[in-house]
Amino acid sequence: MTDPLVEVEDLEKYYYEDDSLLDRITGREPTSVKAVDGVSFTVERGETLGLVGESGCGKSTTGETLLRLREATGGSVSFDGEDVFAMDGEDLVDFRQRAGIVFQDPFSSLDPRMTAREIIAEPLAVHDVGTAADRRSRAAELMERVGLSSAQLDRYPNEFSGGQRQRIGIARALALEPDFVVCDEPVSALDVSVQAQILNLLDDLQSEFDLTYLFIAHDLSVVRHITDRVAVMYLGEVVETGPTDDIFEDPGHPYTEALLESVPRADASEHGRRVDALPGDVPSPRDPPAGCRFHTRCPYAREACRETDPQPVAESDSAGDEQRRIACFRTDADHDYWASEPLEHARAEPMADDD
Amino acid sequence: MVDLDPLPFVSYETLTRVREALTPSPRTVRNLRKELRQSGLAKLGIVLIVGVVLMAALAPVLAPHNPTNQNLDENQLPPLGFDRKTTNTTTEIVNGSISIVNQTTWVNSTVEHPLGTDSLGRDMLSRTIYGARTSLIVGVVGTSIAALFGVTVGLLAGYYSGRIDDVLMRSADVMLAFPSLVLAVALVGLIGTASLRVPDPFVLVGLTPNMPETFTLPGTVIIVVGLVNWVWFARVARSEALSVRSEEYIKAARSVGASDRHIVLRHVLPNSITPIIVLATIQVAAIILLESALAFLGFSGTTLSWGFDIAQGRQYLSTSWWIATVPGLAIVVTVVGINLVGDWLRDALDPGIEGEGGGP
Amino acid sequence: MAANSGRDLLRVEDVSTRFFTEEGQINAVEEVSFTVREGEVFGIVGESGSGKSVTALSLVDLVESPGRVTDGEIWFRNADLAEAVRDDHPGAVDGEFVDLRQMPDGVRRSLRGPSFSMIFQDPMSSFNPSVTVGEQIAEAVEVQRRASANPRSTRSRSQGYGLGRLLLDTVVPTRSYVSRESRERAVDLLDQVGIPDPAERADEYPHQFSGGMLQRAMVAQALAGEPDVLIADEPTTALDVTIQAQILNLLDDLQAETGMSIVLITHNLGVIARMCDRVSVMYAGEIVERGSLDALFENPAHPYTQGLLGSIPDLEDPAARLQPIEGSVPDLVDAEMDDRCYFADRCPKAMTECLDKPPEFPVDGDDEHAAKCVLADHDYVESEALDDDYFASPLEGMGDTVEGEADD
Repeated sequence: MTDPLVEVEDLEKYYYEDDSLLDRITGREPTSVKAVDGVSFTVERGETLGLVGESGCGKSTTGETLLRLREATGGSVSFDGEDVFAMDGEDLVDFRQRAGIVFQDPFSSLDPRMTAREIIAEPLAVHDVGTAADRRSRAAELMERVGLSSAQLDRYPNEFSGGQRQRIGIARALALEPDFVVCDEPVSALDVSVQAQILNLLDDLQSEFDLTYLFIAHDLSVVRHITDRVAVMYLGEVVETGPTDDIFEDPGHPYTEALLESVPRADASEHGRRVDALPGDVPSPRDPPAGCRFHTRCPYAREACRETDPQPVAESDSAGDEQRRIACFRTDADHDYWASEPLEHARAEPMADDD
Repeated sequence: MVDLDPLPFVSYETLTRVREALTPSPRTVRNLRKELRQSGLAKLGIVLIVGVVLMAALAPVLAPHNPTNQNLDENQLPPLGFDRKTTNTTTEIVNGSISIVNQTTWVNSTVEHPLGTDSLGRDMLSRTIYGARTSLIVGVVGTSIAALFGVTVGLLAGYYSGRIDDVLMRSADVMLAFPSLVLAVALVGLIGTASLRVPDPFVLVGLTPNMPETFTLPGTVIIVVGLVNWVWFARVARSEALSVRSEEYIKAARSVGASDRHIVLRHVLPNSITPIIVLATIQVAAIILLESALAFLGFSGTTLSWGFDIAQGRQYLSTSWWIATVPGLAIVVTVVGINLVGDWLRDALDPGIEGEGGGP
Repeated sequence: MAANSGRDLLRVEDVSTRFFTEEGQINAVEEVSFTVREGEVFGIVGESGSGKSVTALSLVDLVESPGRVTDGEIWFRNADLAEAVRDDHPGAVDGEFVDLRQMPDGVRRSLRGPSFSMIFQDPMSSFNPSVTVGEQIAEAVEVQRRASANPRSTRSRSQGYGLGRLLLDTVVPTRSYVSRESRERAVDLLDQVGIPDPAERADEYPHQFSGGMLQRAMVAQALAGEPDVLIADEPTTALDVTIQAQILNLLDDLQAETGMSIVLITHNLGVIARMCDRVSVMYAGEIVERGSLDALFENPAHPYTQGLLGSIPDLEDPAARLQPIEGSVPDLVDAEMDDRCYFADRCPKAMTECLDKPPEFPVDGDDEHAAKCVLADHDYVESEALDDDYFASPLEGMGDTVEGEADD
């Protein structure tokens, strides 16, 4: 098995509030918002790894921190064997060329004062690639490749529709011929029919240019469609990782189960389906629950869940390859969990699946 | 296109970037022309400004007299149509008794001096025409200095935030606390008036031999004005930079590996420029007023300015009122013209939110 | 889930809403007709620019200038109202139905609350951030109570909080617009929508509520007048999927409890599938297909509906490739809209007869199911097909001429 292209280990990104001069003087402890708290996963070459979760789970922060668009407060990321956080100078320039990002908002991710050509060619200009003429022709080439007419290169972003702007953003991300692209919710702000166009485009580009994607999204149907493996995040932690089809058909972590349960399916049979919705709100990352962060809403929560935070446990398949990692005590038949009392909000357990 | 000559310490590349930043996009220019057609007030403002600029540029040609020629025989002549009646009361001792004699004389205006003359017999019209030069130069150059310095400070403060922001903005606050006039007075006391004498091209060429050979630029005033007004630019630039820097395209530029310098010049500056341009037009007006105040107080380096005339006319307000009023009106017209254009620019350059909502 | 009592409650006939802007006239809603029955959930689905939100606003007369409802009739079943206005407006009454468009402003305003109520996508901007949530809901309750205290007079129904009142309350602090009963009812409403500790939470401000909780509070406020029709405009779009599930459950439960009808507007076909009994699909300001849920999902007749269904990834059965709809939504500017089927330029099955506006055809003999497409009437004729680039304009405006092999 080849080395993974990206390896993330115990990545941490904390934001500190109450940290101004005045607070230091008055001796107040800085409160930390643990946006990303110990996230680990790998991305194999050529695959699409999905990073899924609801708002506040830290998925976008993970994506940006991974690319060093934000400075991590802990953990490590290695790209093609090299430590990303230790890079500087030449290496960092290299990294920037090999790792790109597509953003969510097609309206604010393009500089309104630059033409499409300038936007797409900017990465090339920054890295001094080729002559100005070379850059122009490359911009035209990329524009056509993402499905737009190169005659529109002189237009400004506000003259394009949302889907078209997103294509321009993709063209920009591809300008330096990266190996790895972080797609941060690239279709969330688009209409359904346009989403499909962009997803197909991303698919095609992946095969044509041999790209590896980290696909961040909250829409599970989209994730199911485009990803090979998926990591589910909740409140700054990864609760489950594994092959997409496996996870969607047989979720291991209670949160994944709840997520899948909650998504309404576009099918006539969905009508009248009573959904067992998760109670309560998503807790704030400022004040995460003690122990397992999900225990306050988990239908299977027990006392043990309040005391310790479960670490991801790997499940291997018959060949010994690690297939899934699930951060839940229920995967361990011998854990104290089974001996402790269920919490108040937990349901009596009617389903005997799991394990 | 803004034309900039390379300065010794600024690289050509940087200049190119700045030039690009200041050049409005073709769409903006198209937009502006359309907006201009629709606004009568803006047209009026432009007419006024163009008028004043022409007046300043062609002063030697337009002015009927040399504005510095004194002629005590013709002093305090009223403007056309305002013939003045003066009553002199003299007390005489005639044959041992006191008699009070009222002598009424008429002072007639002449076509020679359509706007009258000041207390030293200098032609008001010519003085007003020449005065435009001082005001405009101080206004434009002073604003440019303030803008250059203020925008740089503001952009850096807004983009970097944190400590740098604190330090820069607190010093701006300190500057703001100084009353500008007090600062001006102090500076003039320190470095004097630093006036620069510039030879007048029209006279040099021989077109207008009777006009003054040189023209005085009040150096200190310009410096003072630049020093005092940079704070406004810094604030505006900072708040724009703060909002721009959280836009996603900034993140995109960083993800591509752009240096901070590239990002500030290529992305932050162009997107912050609109309110700065508008502020600049308004500042020019304010600076003209400031110069007038300084001349009024006697700190200007030149005696040929609107402010100076207002100063000297102050004591004659009840009699030879035109000495102060004519330049005062000139200031009003200029400032109104600039404000009209500034207001219109602000509205016209507002891009608004275009494009559809991409989602539901 | 609704027990269909079958009676029509709201009949919308040929309603058009236009916006008169500097850029031209925009036909946001064009000759839209549908009926909403008692006790059902009626869905309106469409993407951006389809006109679905404007349709909702048109129903309750909330369309603001430069927009205006220009044509059509909105027949609402309300026997009391019909009685009250029959003499003054004989042409506007038909049995128990009243044509709301012919009613004076005061009457329409008085219907907001007891007859119609609306909830919106973003709860944070629907609440006043400087007044507690409980107070705002109590105000809604109070307005309704005062209005219903004098049912005969349509004038009293429209009485709210005036300047005189404001001054009086400022000067005399012990007087309050909102009575104690209203406050208690507000707490009851908060309880009804599932907010825990309603009495305490009523004293909190909107920013202290999470998105889901605030959406519930908005529903509570909408329920204050016990409306017959609740219009929900993208109520869950801004919410996380687990919270969305909660809110949809809530709407389900409330509907079963109160028997009100819900007009649910969304772009999310999954939400439609879960909640709605009957659905209409909007495109470019028109209803292009309508029918029962089953009919629409299992036998869609209009190519746009088919395209929509084909372009969404299926959670349970991932297809290898999605079938997107080429092109993009038209601008709806009157001058630029040809008199043809608006979808023809993106339709994979466009034929020459599509250059005329197609009327609504029933699908497969089902009264309930109709589509504005000739394909509902007869099959696709290959020889009549329009060329692929028939509508391709040379790079004009926002019309998406998608070249290159990017999409199939």
